[in-house]
Amino acid sequence: MIDFHTHPVLIQELAKKFPDYERASREVFHIGNNFQPLATFFLQMDVAGIERAVLLPIDCRRSRKLAVSSNEQVAELCRSSSRFIGFASVDPLRKGAAKELQDAVEKLGLRGLKLDPALQDFAPGDPKAFAVYEAAESLGIPALVHTGMSWAPETPLERCHPLLFEPPVRRFPKLNFVLAHFGWPWVWDAIAMALKYPNVYLDTSCLYYDSPKEFFQFVFSKQVPTTLIERSLRNKVVFGSNYPRVEIKNMVHALKGLALTEGCLRKIFVENAERLLARPEPERTRRK
Amino acid sequence: MIIKLERIKIQTRKSEEAINITSVVDEVVRKSGVRNGLVNVMNMHTSAGLLVTEGIPCLEEDILTHFARLVPEDEDYHHRRYLDYDGRLGFNADAHLKSVLGGISCCFPIEDGKVVRGSRQTIYFMEYDGPLERTYVVQVLGA
Repeated sequence: MIDFHTHPVLIQELAKKFPDYERASREVFHIGNNFQPLATFFLQMDVAGIERAVLLPIDCRRSRKLAVSSNEQVAELCRSSSRFIGFASVDPLRKGAAKELQDAVEKLGLRGLKLDPALQDFAPGDPKAFAVYEAAESLGIPALVHTGMSWAPETPLERCHPLLFEPPVRRFPKLNFVLAHFGWPWVWDAIAMALKYPNVYLDTSCLYYDSPKEFFQFVFSKQVPTTLIERSLRNKVVFGSNYPRVEIKNMVHALKGLALTEGCLRKIFVENAERLLARPEPERTRRK
Repeated sequence: MIIKLERIKIQTRKSEEAINITSVVDEVVRKSGVRNGLVNVMNMHTSAGLLVTEGIPCLEEDILTHFARLVPEDEDYHHRRYLDYDGRLGFNADAHLKSVLGGISCCFPIEDGKVVRGSRQTIYFMEYDGPLERTYVVQVLGA
């Protein structure tokens, strides 16, 4: 099983090595838990039955003066274990961002793009950001983009709406977008995007009140019928936990508690993520 | 008078487990040089515990099973809300309540350099919300 949405923000080894790492986690990402050895990350995956996890950095150096984990830190973690799948983050408004993304993929071995319009302070539909989408499309990597409410301080809700991504989704039809957090509270808007556009996926990392089990039961059986996921979105949803804002095991347990078939769960936990991460050969070689 | 305090880290490996730390406490006492006094052991967390019971696997399992019955995971807890100081949801009320029920510390006399303990008494670090790296404190006081 693959966890498509984790943040390496509480790792002791990185906190000891990089002076700004702790401040970025505390002040920019805003998480108060104790830093943990890398071993805890793997054990959290083990107890949840997760084999591999996508690590997401956020390059918000322009907007917040600090990166919430850097591409280099993520690459370092990926070198330490094949259980990690590293994504890269670049600032779409910075000159040279497309080349930076290309280097992160081709030199650091990172396998996706992470963007957070609210933390990075950019409009997803801004044409100035299109060079980065174009680079990601050419590289054949997926883009996991923050949508839905963010817990990070000073992240305006108006920057988090899933429909803001409609212009790049339409402009770059070969770039697969994963709308994080199911776009909560704009769940129906995010679902409409995933239903309408073949290149839009959703991740399950949404938890904003109650327990994971209670939240999932409400959102995925009352707010939205479970049958919608089972029948129409089974190929468009990937499992994401948002660890360490929530323990992976609780999110796995919550998802398995829904009335979804084993076949559908396998797609969400494994197959859809694997398909997104498989870089199509023609796209990968096009830039060379 | 000797007062020595050690902070000891422990990596738990499961969601819930009982880890025997008796020999660690004995060793801290031995190294302290205290011949007669007290040793206090305290867990530094609110979703883990520390308790004393007979050191056999069946009891370890019974304690965790009984706590799970007393404090079911799916009860209606007020703690299930966003904790702004932590940047995350609190949904581990059951772990906190197990910690309250089982306690977080224990104290033993020291006589002639050894911990005075019943032959069956075993000290356990109790994980209720792992796996995590945890810390407990052993303080030795005496002469």
